[in-house]
Amino acid sequence: MTSRMLGIGFLTPAIISVAIFFLLPVLLTVVFAFTNMSTSTGIMGGDYQINSEQLRSVSEIGISEESVELLENAGFQITEAGLTALAEQFGDETAEELREDYLGETFTARRDLERVLRNLDEPIRQTRDRKTAADLFAVTIIGERFDTESQFRAALEKTGVDPVDHDTLTEFAYTGWTWTTDNFSLLLELPSTLRFAANSAFYVVCTLTFNIVFGLFLALSTFYLPSKTANTFRAIWFLPRILPPVLYVLMWNWFTWDNGFIATVTGWFGVPPQNWMMQTTTRAWTVVILINGFVGASLGMILFSSAIKAIPTSMLYASEVDGANRWQQVRYIILPQMRWPILFMTSYQTLSLLTSFEYILLATDGGPGRSTEVWALAAYHTALNNYGGNLQYGLGSAYALVLVFIGIALSALYLRFFNFKELLAKPRIEQ
Amino acid sequence: MELRLEKFTKRFGDTTVIKDMDLTVGSGEMIALLGPSGCGKSTTLFAVCGIHKMNGGTLHFGDRDVTTVPAQERSVGVVFQNYALYPHMTVEQNIGFPLKIQKLGKAAIRKEVERLSELVQIGELLDRRPAQLSGGQQQRVALARAMIRKPDVLLLDEPLANLDAKLRLEMRSEIRRIQRETGITAILVTHDQVEAMSMCDRIALMKDGKIVQLDTPEQMYSNPRSQFVAGFLGNPPISFLPATAGAEVVLANGQSIARPRDLQASGDLILGIRPEHFGPQHGEGLQGEVIFVEPQGREELIDVRLDGGGDIRSILSAGAPIRQGDRVNWGVATDSILAFAPNGVRV
Repeated sequence: MTSRMLGIGFLTPAIISVAIFFLLPVLLTVVFAFTNMSTSTGIMGGDYQINSEQLRSVSEIGISEESVELLENAGFQITEAGLTALAEQFGDETAEELREDYLGETFTARRDLERVLRNLDEPIRQTRDRKTAADLFAVTIIGERFDTESQFRAALEKTGVDPVDHDTLTEFAYTGWTWTTDNFSLLLELPSTLRFAANSAFYVVCTLTFNIVFGLFLALSTFYLPSKTANTFRAIWFLPRILPPVLYVLMWNWFTWDNGFIATVTGWFGVPPQNWMMQTTTRAWTVVILINGFVGASLGMILFSSAIKAIPTSMLYASEVDGANRWQQVRYIILPQMRWPILFMTSYQTLSLLTSFEYILLATDGGPGRSTEVWALAAYHTALNNYGGNLQYGLGSAYALVLVFIGIALSALYLRFFNFKELLAKPRIEQ
Repeated sequence: MELRLEKFTKRFGDTTVIKDMDLTVGSGEMIALLGPSGCGKSTTLFAVCGIHKMNGGTLHFGDRDVTTVPAQERSVGVVFQNYALYPHMTVEQNIGFPLKIQKLGKAAIRKEVERLSELVQIGELLDRRPAQLSGGQQQRVALARAMIRKPDVLLLDEPLANLDAKLRLEMRSEIRRIQRETGITAILVTHDQVEAMSMCDRIALMKDGKIVQLDTPEQMYSNPRSQFVAGFLGNPPISFLPATAGAEVVLANGQSIARPRDLQASGDLILGIRPEHFGPQHGEGLQGEVIFVEPQGREELIDVRLDGGGDIRSILSAGAPIRQGDRVNWGVATDSILAFAPNGVRV
């Protein structure tokens, strides 16, 4: 009993961290993805309001012209609120007289109300003043804030707007977030979706290839060096990984800026100074792939190096005695035995590259244009750093959710085809 | 093909492991490099196959000077202690690998692989992978791979060390048979004197980077040049007793035996007496008490503690009525005694 408690005790921190740092974010991503949350809706509830600027777009959601007109001006009614305002502007007597005779009365047309105002014992004489006074009694819901849906609907009822349009208008007027699947249909419609997906695929394939090939090259070349030289070499190549990303990318920026290293050196040969990272799409991609490639290659180098070292020396001796030169030794003896480390690196890096965007964000920020904007970066931009100013949490989460599903699908695929259990169970390099 | 190693010197860093070693292996001869661990026998083998560079001296295969020729072009076949088979290749690919490197055609490789697999008798295993083979089978594959290029020299590095006792016996004669059949010049590195004696034409016994004696197994056993050689060869091992030679030979414990006929030296000596030269079949002479009886099936090993000090071992046919604690008075075949000066040199 005690030991079981102890086990649970030891597991608790892990369970809590998994819940907080993995399950909760995934869960929130799922929740957000099915809402239209953004800066303008907030993440709490909202109220009901249509302002005069929105009025123009009301007709675009299928509301008839008459309804729009009624929204703006649905006639006039003598109310206490209007009378108070009238008293302030035109004197108490006028207001008092109007209250006594007309309180609660409604007028469909402006001129009827204006006639009443002219014919009072204390009339409002000027035409312009009468217009202003009539406006005080105009019945409208434009610019008015309603706390609940029923209040808004009651107000709509008063305006006489066709009941057919009520639902649409209520939905339109709601300023908070709502549940919706629009994010996903939007993803399907937007031409940029395909663009970001293609960018991601291109980025992953190129960077991965660079990672593996260069990592292998480093591992193999350092394997044949004297161990002291090899260790120094490996330490240098490991720098990109241990440097803070900001610092590492900053160095790339210095390297490629229009008055940076490359520009200076090429300047000596008469090449006009230019930004070697952002000038063209090709350059942007090259830099992005190199930045991420070196980071990944250093990890590959370490993993591959130890895998090569695990091959018994006598096997390499044997191949030498059998007549194999260096290249043949690599080709026939070392590489075939590196199958599992390579497969592991490939699958691991695919997953991590798909979701990584921090180096791209720091280097090109998806530019020039949006030519190096990968899916994960698009999710970040949409949800957390939108140029329009309106951060679309919901749409961003929808982007992220797609990545979550691709990640899970790929993991399942790897588990199945590469038989990870067996791979992890025992070393694959046999005596 | 004759192998001639002259003035071979090997250093690792500042340590000289082998200095000015000479070794000639005749064409078709099989020679054993025998010695305790660290004596330099494997180092010599690695230098001969070209994996280690030589720091001095020359190496000839026949008339060809291969001192600086890289391992790839040296025409040697090597069987490593752990066989060093390529785990990702089938037996057929393993054996054919040296020919594949030479860019031979598939049919030609196949033909050679079949010839070799017949020689080492693993024809039915060609499609398996090394992990699916027993130790003895792996050994045969390694042997076939080493031999397929028809090398000038075959080098065997402790080839039987990883096998169990029964397989070791079988492979001992197998390797010898294959070597005889092909007539290849061979060097066997081993620390097991039985292997060396049973398999090889001659034995080079090494100690501290030097060959202390190079002889046929029979000569080396019966006529060792030093106490080290006498002590290294022979199983069960020889017993050494300090003594003083005059008219008689008086042991350090006070007991005396007759002086061997051909013993020239006098004064302080160390006597080497092999177990078969001490026992009741040689009459009487040395008195003591049986302290240990070790049955070995056909024979029994008997350790005797002599009165006054010193242990001596005897080997008798099983069934002799000897028990621990018995008093014995057994004789020595005096003419077979090996005598050494106190510095270990044979006298």
